[in-house]
Amino acid sequence: MAFKKVKSSDRHINQLARIVGGSSSILYRKEDLLAYDCDGFTIHKALPKAVVFPKNTIEVSEVVRYCHEHNLPFLARGAGTGLSGGAIPLNEEVIISMVRMKRLLSVDLENRRAVVEPGFVNLKLTNSISDRGYYYAPDPSSQYCCTIGGNVAENAGGAHCLKYGVTTNHILGLEVVMPNGEVIEIGKNGIPDEPGYDLLGLITGSEGTLGIVTKITVRILKNPEAKQTVLAYFNHVSDGSQAVSDIVSAGIVPAALEMMDKVAIEGVEAAAYPVGHPKDIEAVLLIEVDGISAGIDEQIRQILDVCRNRNVKEVKVARDEAERGRWWANRKTGFGAMGAISPDYLVQDGVIPRSKLPEVLSRINQISNESGLRIANIFHAGDGNLHPLVLFDARKPGETQKALEAGSACLKVCADVGGTITGEHGVGIEKKEEMRFVFSDEEIKAQTDIREVFNPKNLLNAGKLFPAPGRCAEVKKEIKAAASS
Amino acid sequence: MLTLEGFAELQAVMPEVEIREDSSLEGTVAIFPKTEEDIASILKYCNEKMKTVSISGGGTKRLKAGEEKADIKLSLAKYTGIVEHIPGDMTVTVKAGTRYQELQDYLAGYNQKVALDPSWPEFASVGGVVAANDSGPKRLGFGTARDAVIGLRTVYPDGRVIRSGGKVVKNVAGYDMNKLFIGSMGTLGVISEITLKLRPLPKAESLVLLSFPRERLGDLRSFVCQLLDSMMEPAALELLNPALSQKLTGADSYTLAISFEDVESSVAYQEEFVKRNKPENSRLTIQKNKEAQLFWKKVYSIAPMGTPVVEPPLGTSSLAAAALKIGVVNLNVIEVAKECQLITEANSVIAEAHGGMGTGVCQVVLRGASEDISKSISYLRDFALKLGGYATVKQLPHDLQGEIDVWGEKPSYFFLLEGIKKKIDPNKILNPNRFVGGI
Repeated sequence: MAFKKVKSSDRHINQLARIVGGSSSILYRKEDLLAYDCDGFTIHKALPKAVVFPKNTIEVSEVVRYCHEHNLPFLARGAGTGLSGGAIPLNEEVIISMVRMKRLLSVDLENRRAVVEPGFVNLKLTNSISDRGYYYAPDPSSQYCCTIGGNVAENAGGAHCLKYGVTTNHILGLEVVMPNGEVIEIGKNGIPDEPGYDLLGLITGSEGTLGIVTKITVRILKNPEAKQTVLAYFNHVSDGSQAVSDIVSAGIVPAALEMMDKVAIEGVEAAAYPVGHPKDIEAVLLIEVDGISAGIDEQIRQILDVCRNRNVKEVKVARDEAERGRWWANRKTGFGAMGAISPDYLVQDGVIPRSKLPEVLSRINQISNESGLRIANIFHAGDGNLHPLVLFDARKPGETQKALEAGSACLKVCADVGGTITGEHGVGIEKKEEMRFVFSDEEIKAQTDIREVFNPKNLLNAGKLFPAPGRCAEVKKEIKAAASS
Repeated sequence: MLTLEGFAELQAVMPEVEIREDSSLEGTVAIFPKTEEDIASILKYCNEKMKTVSISGGGTKRLKAGEEKADIKLSLAKYTGIVEHIPGDMTVTVKAGTRYQELQDYLAGYNQKVALDPSWPEFASVGGVVAANDSGPKRLGFGTARDAVIGLRTVYPDGRVIRSGGKVVKNVAGYDMNKLFIGSMGTLGVISEITLKLRPLPKAESLVLLSFPRERLGDLRSFVCQLLDSMMEPAALELLNPALSQKLTGADSYTLAISFEDVESSVAYQEEFVKRNKPENSRLTIQKNKEAQLFWKKVYSIAPMGTPVVEPPLGTSSLAAAALKIGVVNLNVIEVAKECQLITEANSVIAEAHGGMGTGVCQVVLRGASEDISKSISYLRDFALKLGGYATVKQLPHDLQGEIDVWGEKPSYFFLLEGIKKKIDPNKILNPNRFVGGI
């Protein structure tokens, strides 16, 4: 094949370019690499050695084999929307970008499965099958641009995972390039319960540290017959939170159950998709039920009753799909909306037992008061996944630092009430140290032991997910230094 | 084997723990820990002395009586009880030896349930269900142990207690280690505590049985496709072959057992859909609530039961049959059911089969002379492989002679399975030879 040769002074660059097919498939000049110095987590930045764009599994495997043989650190990257820094090249990695492997390989509606390449965009899958009434369930807020490969790495969630589960509940098979370049296939033909330890479940959510996924078989679902969405405003957070518990106790399994607090409401109303939430309320609930049409009305009636019993200020059912769409756009763009009321913001991702919500919100409020920083709360209330958004101004000296500390303190609160430090964004670089809030050294070692089986040289995405033993204090200092620079 | 000396030593190390000779297996001892610390000290002792341990919950998933030889049988029969149940959070934490049905009965008081429907719920332990990743027809609607388990405490062979997951329903902190232990057949550690997410009990339940004449499998397939392509939401869509249908419903025909669980109006609406669209030659009966539950209970009791700790009721012959699990692409379940029927009609073996049309997971019980069972196992495995699937053996008759390949060929990535085993149980003391490739 004819391709433009790369002439770099670095022999590795030349060799990698040869593998992926020449200069159009590799970036290695500093100015080209700047775009790859971070992902959705922008506080820590580092330049990669190069970025390669393989077109198929063989190229990925050859790149990996080359890196393995020459001890070059490497990592895989999808759309770069990750919020915890999982795709940031801490060790001058060769970044293997999966964006050119973006084909939908097959759809088998009868057997409810589809096969995609890792660079295929999440929402495109639903769009490709929606004319036949099918969809792919995991719906992270970034679904219009994030890739399914990235979703697998992070075990991504979304607003509707309350009823339908997160990415891991929808993965049937994977083709994986191991850190030594070997290609394996798990979950052959998408058939469940393959004999052997559940490597599908282990690799999903391993944040790109166990292997590079090159083909994914996913489960697809039929659209629910009917869908109804309710918006409820509360003067007191405690009433809203009690309503959440009551809905669940009534035996209803909503498709989504979202909550925003006062600061969050201020943000979404000031941003691009306002829907006219009143300013003087403390909490808004967005509740969606779906399923068989004949059963929906009864559930909606129950939900309205519950809200009224909990002193709802106003409650309404979406009149049509357009209104429902507006409510969801308002909610799904919630993180970015904080930009409308604050120069910078930091997203956190704790999970708590649902029943602890009032206690946790009041402790977060305390953290906000102590730090002097406003904190908005966007909450997947149904499954207890809390996103505190710490608002700050990076231009003010020391404030980034303060925001990081406030974010970490929020996670500590979540861990202390029996929850965890991340529900869907992953640990990455951001929450490495906070892993100690939930796991003992022994438990962390049990996990790194598993990594050693897959990734013995630790060249693949090193320095993520786990605090470095013994060096934790220094690493933390390093991150903080980077943050305040 | 554990010598008398060893027995005395064990007693000296763990004076508080009940230890006795295992009546079911000559020359071995059974040990009954009551606390997690007990489990840890037993494993630590065995690991240091290189004694092998076979782990037992309710005993329903033993492959074959007398087959699982180990120096020590660690029984969790006395490590039972609910640790924590928070109704508002819809989570429960339970000790591994707790009987599955006991947990369900307790939860029913709160209108909640664990949404798994394993075999022999009255006898199986929760730990066993998780360790074997056992599932039933309703996995179509509610998933499997890998969807329901949110946290585990697992005792490693060296006595470390490793927590994985947690008590919240959404969690991506670190590797999803729960998945590693679910279905690992006790070869990596002793699962001591399990945290599960719960679902509300359905307000209404119905079972629609739709029987098709044997020559009408084409109609059956079209109907299944139509139902799956509709917006109905069956919790189970299970195909029974005539050999099994005869036994469970009295109809000597291919039968679809369709479960609907929801509010009453929705269940009725879905029944109507089936009535409206059923092919002409099919015969329909509907069973409601209690009656429907009774039917499923029968389904959960068709497989042989290993060597249960609790005496099984009269009439359940626990060891005279083999059980297979076959995984294929969803619609190929029809082919598996058909093949099992052909075996039944051609040989001296009866092959009772059912499989999920929306999941691809089939369960087959083979009854007959051991030699014939053995041949049928190889035959069905080859058949599953040709369809791109797999077949594993869950239970064997006690008098079956010769080697039976329980798990089938090693997968190409066996080195990873072996590597994981080596890291966690380097001395191979736990459930030796109970898993894929002799792990």
